[in-house]
Amino acid sequence: MEFQEKQVEAGGFSVRYWEAGQGRPVIMLDRTGGRETALHDALAEKYQVFSLELPGTGDSPANTASESISDLAVVAATAAAALTSERYTLIGSSFGANVALQQAIQSPEQVEALILISPTSIHPQDSPAADTLSDAHLAMFAHAENAGKYPIISAETFAKESELMRRLNFGVHDSETEARLGDIHCPTLAVFGQEDRLVSSQAPRVYREKIPNCNIALVYDAGHCIIGDRPEALLNTVLDYAEHWETFIVGHQSGLINP
Amino acid sequence: MKASLFAAMGYSKRATFPSTWPVSPVHADPKTSVQSYREGMDECELAEEVGFDWVSFSEHHYSGRIPTGTPAVMASAVAERCKRIKIALLGHLLPLNNPVRVAEELALLDNLTDGRLVAGFLRGTPNEDQVYTMNPAEGRGRLHEGMDLILKALTEPEPFSWEGRYYQFRTVAVWPRLVQQPLPQVIVGTRSDDTIRYAADHRLGLGVSFLPVEQTAAITDKYHAWCEEAGWSPGPDDIVYRASIYVAETDELAHKWFEGLMKSRPGPNIPLRRTVSEAIESARTGNAFDLRGVVAGSPEGDVVGNSLGINFIGGPDTVASQIKEFHDRCGVGVMDLLIQQNQVDHKAVMKEIELFGKEVIPQIREF
Repeated sequence: MEFQEKQVEAGGFSVRYWEAGQGRPVIMLDRTGGRETALHDALAEKYQVFSLELPGTGDSPANTASESISDLAVVAATAAAALTSERYTLIGSSFGANVALQQAIQSPEQVEALILISPTSIHPQDSPAADTLSDAHLAMFAHAENAGKYPIISAETFAKESELMRRLNFGVHDSETEARLGDIHCPTLAVFGQEDRLVSSQAPRVYREKIPNCNIALVYDAGHCIIGDRPEALLNTVLDYAEHWETFIVGHQSGLINP
Repeated sequence: MKASLFAAMGYSKRATFPSTWPVSPVHADPKTSVQSYREGMDECELAEEVGFDWVSFSEHHYSGRIPTGTPAVMASAVAERCKRIKIALLGHLLPLNNPVRVAEELALLDNLTDGRLVAGFLRGTPNEDQVYTMNPAEGRGRLHEGMDLILKALTEPEPFSWEGRYYQFRTVAVWPRLVQQPLPQVIVGTRSDDTIRYAADHRLGLGVSFLPVEQTAAITDKYHAWCEEAGWSPGPDDIVYRASIYVAETDELAHKWFEGLMKSRPGPNIPLRRTVSEAIESARTGNAFDLRGVVAGSPEGDVVGNSLGINFIGGPDTVASQIKEFHDRCGVGVMDLLIQQNQVDHKAVMKEIELFGKEVIPQIREF
């Protein structure tokens, strides 16, 4: 699927995004704005996908204006509103999931369904030995061999993103957001790798307990970067939820062996 | 007529659960559940003492109301405490289970009880379809093939291969062989025509649950007619009716209890999100379902499910006459009774079992 690079003005930023596909709109917020994953391609087969590069991540200029995750969520919601007039499925990964969570709280009228992949807003934990770029990269995966298949971001991008995330308290438990989880009434899926070293294993249940219509999916043998460790499992879960929302718990696959 | 105690084994604080399904395991305290299972087994022992003929077990998941997801495990524990009573598994939810495993559990139980097993097969309520992510559209096919496979596995003396639509086993050789030859009594729990026909054609018993007498009669009339077509007549133990009951010393006391229950506004028995309920129903029936056309809401606000219903209520003579109607109109020969209502504690359940044994069983024996 060919994604087209475009730009949209939102909240004082010129936000770069990639667009592909037809159908109901899906807004994706990714940690580095990257759109070259199998998940993006698979979603674009069924939906009109807009993959937003959050200001200050990826190849975008350093973001010194945003003071909080909420600020970034306003930018993302403004950009999304400029791209589609319909309600959309909002998907965020890692840092992008934290922004998506805020966006769903702040702009409920826009968000039809919410999919959080490895969010860290609730009960994050320090990853062991993540002092260097290489260590930080390795810590994202359950298996080192999977880390090797995934490109490491440049030192410059790492430094720029690290500065932004420190300023926006990424990696710190967000009690204000936790207190507002009950305000999210759209169908919500939170996906976690069972071997995620960046989030406490206690975190998933908080989303389930506090968001009224929330399902939790735990991906076996996957770390924080689920798409790197278990891409097929992530695709299956996210695509099924995007299509069926909370009814994804009802079996849709046939067990027929021979008719 | 025979009496059976439906051993629900309910968690004693079940009345405090939220109105959702599944019920989060956070509500389960191990000390309370251990005590609840002990109390449930005491109820089975008392039922045997006061003259019940069967004690039945049922596969239900993800809630403390009937927390016997593996009914054969529960049945084997009770079978060690009750030495005379029939152990009725009513039953396994076949679409969810490996049929060969079910056959092995049944064969082992028939041995452990020295031939006191009654087996039961059913598809299950819609909520159970979600338990092992079985496609609800395939539930009926899995039930029918599963029954065929289990019956074959329990009766075939030589290893065989099964090349089914939903199941493929390259070698099946179930041990131990059944004590009851060729088969224990088998009850098929259903309301569906094709499954009623299956029971009739295979000379199996029929189980009906919780329906009013006229609806039950419509089912049993079909069963009788199709049994006749198949060249046999069902015996008195072949039609089992599972009912919810509250029996007190007098009608007045029973109705006073029921009024109190209604004031407490009990929630639905098996509450599901409306979207999930409609998705399952759509898959089961093949009808279209527009997910986005269903208004979403809070889990407490948009649940659907049957409201609490009691089939038999009153003093001993009244419930005996209510039961007689099912015997006379539907040919029911075994009455399987759920006494553990949500708001009735263990002490009160024991009192009801004793009362039923002393005052009602002698009456229904005459039917």
